Amino acid sequence: MKPQADQLRAGAEAASAALPALMLSAERLAAALVPGAHGQRRAGMGEDFWQYRPATAGDTARSIDWRRSARSDAQFVRDREAQVAQSAAIWVSAAAGMDYTGNAERPSKRDRADLLALALAMALLAGGERVALAGQPPRPGRLQAERMAEALVARAPLPGDEDAPPAEALRPGQRVILFDDFLGDPQPVLDYLARAAGLGVQGALLQVLDPDEEGFPWRGAVLFRSASGALRHDTRDAAGLRAAYLARLAERRAQLTGAARMAGWHFGTHDTGAAPSQALLWLWSVLEG
Amino acid sequence: MLLIGPIGFLTPWILAALAALPVLWLILRAMPPSPKLVRFPGTRLLLGLKDPHPVARHTPWWLLLLRVLAIAALILGFAGPVWKPSPDQAGQGPLLVVMDAGWAAAPDWPQRQARALRALDRAAAAGQPAALLVADGTATGALPFLPATELAAQLRALRPAAWETRYPPDPQAALAEAPAGLSVLWLSDGLDHPGRAEWLAALAGRGGVTVVPPDGPRQSLELVAGDQPALRLRSTGAAAADVLAIGLDPQGTPRELARLRPGEGGGASADAGVTSWLVPIDLPSELRNRITRFEVEGHGSAGAVLLADDSLRRRKVALAGDDRAGEGQRLLSPLHYLRRALAPTTDLIEGGLGDVLQASPDVIVLADQFGLAEEPGLREWVEGGGLLIRFAGPRMAASERLAEEPLLPVRLRAGGRDIGGALAWGEPRSVAPFAADGPFAGLSVPQDATVRAQLLAEPAPDLGDRTIAQLSDGTPLVTRAALGQGQLVLFHTTANAEWSNLAISGLFVEMLDRLVRSARVGSAAPEADRAEQPFWLPELVLDGFGRTTEPQDATPVAAADFARGPAPGAPAGLYRGGERVAALNAGGPMAPADWPGARIERAAEAPGLDLRGWLVALAAVLFALDALGSAWLARGRQGATA
Repeated sequence: MKPQADQLRAGAEAASAALPALMLSAERLAAALVPGAHGQRRAGMGEDFWQYRPATAGDTARSIDWRRSARSDAQFVRDREAQVAQSAAIWVSAAAGMDYTGNAERPSKRDRADLLALALAMALLAGGERVALAGQPPRPGRLQAERMAEALVARAPLPGDEDAPPAEALRPGQRVILFDDFLGDPQPVLDYLARAAGLGVQGALLQVLDPDEEGFPWRGAVLFRSASGALRHDTRDAAGLRAAYLARLAERRAQLTGAARMAGWHFGTHDTGAAPSQALLWLWSVLEG
Repeated sequence: MLLIGPIGFLTPWILAALAALPVLWLILRAMPPSPKLVRFPGTRLLLGLKDPHPVARHTPWWLLLLRVLAIAALILGFAGPVWKPSPDQAGQGPLLVVMDAGWAAAPDWPQRQARALRALDRAAAAGQPAALLVADGTATGALPFLPATELAAQLRALRPAAWETRYPPDPQAALAEAPAGLSVLWLSDGLDHPGRAEWLAALAGRGGVTVVPPDGPRQSLELVAGDQPALRLRSTGAAAADVLAIGLDPQGTPRELARLRPGEGGGASADAGVTSWLVPIDLPSELRNRITRFEVEGHGSAGAVLLADDSLRRRKVALAGDDRAGEGQRLLSPLHYLRRALAPTTDLIEGGLGDVLQASPDVIVLADQFGLAEEPGLREWVEGGGLLIRFAGPRMAASERLAEEPLLPVRLRAGGRDIGGALAWGEPRSVAPFAADGPFAGLSVPQDATVRAQLLAEPAPDLGDRTIAQLSDGTPLVTRAALGQGQLVLFHTTANAEWSNLAISGLFVEMLDRLVRSARVGSAAPEADRAEQPFWLPELVLDGFGRTTEPQDATPVAAADFARGPAPGAPAGLYRGGERVAALNAGGPMAPADWPGARIERAAEAPGLDLRGWLVALAAVLFALDALGSAWLARGRQGATA
């Protein structure tokens, strides 16, 4: 294991230590999924006892529980609680802009997003879920967390400003969590949300921003350049642009919030100046509900 | 000096800084720095936004113009601009500056220095040599002609002297090194001094003479000896300033004790351009004794300061005679009333006549003393300037040889006269009002002051002249006569309440005060006793401006030099010799100077209008406007973002 992956994992362990085991509700999952650890509170395929019921026509003889039936005249069938396995896909944007931090003492947005993603994955894995990065097969178990940490650290930032979540990797019944700054072109995200809604996929969007991006503290003459250098904006009075910028940022958030609500998703924001556990609690509450 | 149109510049090289103005314009123009480069992921959100205040791209042109104008005004201001400077009339030759440096030059000394410095500056600019003749009586030998720049420091260090302006005695010797084509600038103090005409003639023979007359009239103050001390104020102008009497107040702080207004006491008299006023020092003795100096208000000159010395101070009064207080009847003693009347304002000496004469008093008062013919030295003392005041009395009245008694102003009739007694018909007589020209003029006579007995004078042709106070029936009460330089005064009544209640009235005190003040102070002229007092040591000297200073080197001044008045080595001031303190005062007679054949510089054309202050003020106003404009711009920006 690489040292960075080691550190990332240790940080994620620390961040997720305080979180209770996250039990995903699985109300919309179809029955024909790999069995998992989640009881559905109804009879079905599973391992745990659910109830005895009188045998009806159609029940095979093998399904009759003879020990229970022997205590009365009727035949009983022993039902087991239906169990399904939940799978969650986590996607962290690798756009060049995610490497930004406004202050050397603050982590970059990418670092914070990685940390949150891994912490969430650990919490889910500890609850017995199957988790993977988007586009990879979900697996359960603690080892999966280490694999994910390695993959997150090994991933190189993209040269361009844009990175879109892979829409083709969406699977029905999945839960998807997207980490991004959502400062690029919003259209791919909107398309992704539309397709996810169509597949019945639910999830959450977490916008990770630097305090500088939320506060716009610049004054005077500034030449703004996007992370890749493809976009630039020249101004002589940066302080005069602040109001307009904040208005556009709020508009972008409103757009994403609306699209998320339409698709049954949740949209949240996180500031790298704030504690990571805050965002993790929000994600937990959103995914549990 | 550089002349551009009507404006001259004193230091034109500073104008070279104007060349930097275009550069400054460019620098100020480029004031907004190149933009800061910021890597910002949210740049997409900024695309297409317009700057709300595009004016901030450059400093606005009017602000720029304001700043450049302000700096240009500063540069022009420091280059010393003068509007229509006085033309350089002094000619182009070598320069000779004659500075009158006596006390009369003190009141406008800085202007004189500035005028001479200006002339030296011009000579330096023209590369001409210059010389400085300081007419304070210390210049000796031939005047050296030096580069003009070397004289400026000497000129700045010059101070007026506390004596009259004195020219070197021999103009030809002093001008031995003078080159031809001289141009002379004579900074006159406006007064004539010995040798001035010779100097003017000698200088006029060698070049053009320009005379700068003084600014305003000169004034001088002098003490007039006489019965009543008075000041003589002279002025070359028509108006006179007040004379301030300055001394220690009862708390010991120097302050103005009184203000004497010329023209109240005596009228002005004009003579050959000099107006003079007689200012009587009509002050109570207590106040007068505290005065240390008189000075003409607002005229800073040693000649307008008069230091007070012994001649203004308390008189020494000796009381001699029959003091019967020892027998327990104090109120019957005539000396008791005299003592009470004189003690507050004079220094009293008491004793036998022979003893007090040795103390050389100014006044001797004798009460009912008789038989003075045998007194050795008394007559000599009176003839030398003493004032002898005698009072009549029973002993004198009882004398049979009264007619032969010496040292009386009038011959007395023996026996006296008893007016208000039990055996007399008449009523006690009151005192008649005093004559307006006598020594008691102006004193008010109380109606209850009456005389019951008196000694009568023998009728004589000059009795009326000698009577300075009389009773209501015309008989003399006080008579006075001169004897040598001194005076004899007789009160025809007693000094106690035996013959008259005059001695217990306030009038008695005032009359005695008047008489004592009229006494001459013993040996007022210092040269009178040259043998006794050969040297005088300066105790306090005046500088030319009339300010008192400690003497720097206390060189004794010989009495013969002292008598000649202030001179180099003997500045005006207070001098002490033995027990006595004498003042050497600079002020005295004045005569205005005339300048035949010389060009007289009128004050109006002299300086030109100095524009420096105006330009610097303009620059300050422009900078203030610039600050306001900048603040307004910044406020506009912030208001938009808020």
